[in-house]
Amino acid sequence: MNNTARYNRQIILPEIGEDGQFKLSKAKVLLIGAGGLGVAILTYLAAAGVGEIGVVDDDVIEVSNLQRQVIYKSSAVGKYKVDEAKAMVAELNPLIKVNAIAEKLSGKNAISLFEKYDIIVDATDNLQIKYLINDACLVTNKPMVYGSIFRFQGQVSVFNYQNGPTYRCLYPDENSSSANCADAGVIGISVGIIGMLQANEVVKMILGIGEVLNGKILVYNILNNEQQKYDFEKNVSIVIDSTIFEEKYVSNEKTIKEIEAEAVLNEMTNDEILFLDVRNVDELPKLNFKNGIQIPLMNLENEMDKLNPNQTIYIYCQSGIRSKMAVEQLQKKNFKNIKSISGGALALNQLLKKESLSN
Amino acid sequence: MIEVKYFGAVAEKTKCAVENVSSSEVSLQELLQDLEAKYQFDSLSFSVAVNQKIVSKAAEYTLKASDIVALLPPFAGG
Repeated sequence: MNNTARYNRQIILPEIGEDGQFKLSKAKVLLIGAGGLGVAILTYLAAAGVGEIGVVDDDVIEVSNLQRQVIYKSSAVGKYKVDEAKAMVAELNPLIKVNAIAEKLSGKNAISLFEKYDIIVDATDNLQIKYLINDACLVTNKPMVYGSIFRFQGQVSVFNYQNGPTYRCLYPDENSSSANCADAGVIGISVGIIGMLQANEVVKMILGIGEVLNGKILVYNILNNEQQKYDFEKNVSIVIDSTIFEEKYVSNEKTIKEIEAEAVLNEMTNDEILFLDVRNVDELPKLNFKNGIQIPLMNLENEMDKLNPNQTIYIYCQSGIRSKMAVEQLQKKNFKNIKSISGGALALNQLLKKESLSN
Repeated sequence: MIEVKYFGAVAEKTKCAVENVSSSEVSLQELLQDLEAKYQFDSLSFSVAVNQKIVSKAAEYTLKASDIVALLPPFAGG
């Protein structure tokens, strides 16, 4: 009785009804990211009665999150986002279950997490993790609801839906870079709109109504309200199975030495460490190290003689993918003390900004 | 005239969201080379659509005057 009253306004929609509400209550959705997109998606899926929602995010709330991550209170700065999100939902709709997962998504936990849910929602803010989510969705055969923002523009699509095209079919170039919100700037309304469109795709899939953005990417510009849909096809030559996934994300993690961006901060003026930037020369932000050098990844093979194989070298790129490739290349040439800086220039730059604010 | 639309970081580089380029039997690859020379996209990655459909950048396609080309980079904010 309680439930029927709560969901009455959507149950009386002929497209939903009691059957549709039952489907929602049985659905399990995994949300990767509890930032701007994530909180919009979570709030509306929870209110609509999606039965079980997992939220993965290892970040704590920062004051600069509050203008767009609207469920977080000023008093919650410093607390884990997933804990606050779970507490918010408990008050909004106690009939559903939220699993707060304060972990970073990685090759180690992705597959076992994804297997427990029906639909995976990408509400993350870097390109590297979108490939990980895509690939884990392929291995576990789950649809991926993609959303992303660049300033006043957003993109939405659904990948791997009923064996449809994937993120790699749309964007095959894994080594590209794109600014996230911390660098490019963002207003809460645009993440809210795009998050809402993602939530809408989730609900349509659960209910089996409407047309899912399968093989289509929607591009929305909030400044002029123009929206366009672009079709894309499945590229059957792209194959990601559990063996490839394992090699790419799991065994790799063991052999490639990484160093956390936090640990690098204190070493920036240490001139015994060489900081190697493997990005292209036009990529921003530039970072000032006492002892720095730039060799774009594509030139590294030919310009290796600029480096000393016995020196300690910390390698960085934009987000931490190309720097891992550079470590691999250099390891083959017997470089001994080399590490890839996790999260790359974006992570370092964010930490530097934070540091300068607190000083 | 062929209409070319730019999105995201690509539009930041071109400093316009849309422009018309004159068409005289230009192929898609030639158009992309011309745009690269004009704007130096360098490390910016993007997918290309012709008439609302994503195509391979290496596609052998001669553009028609009524065609609309779009350059769609991946977005990363959230």
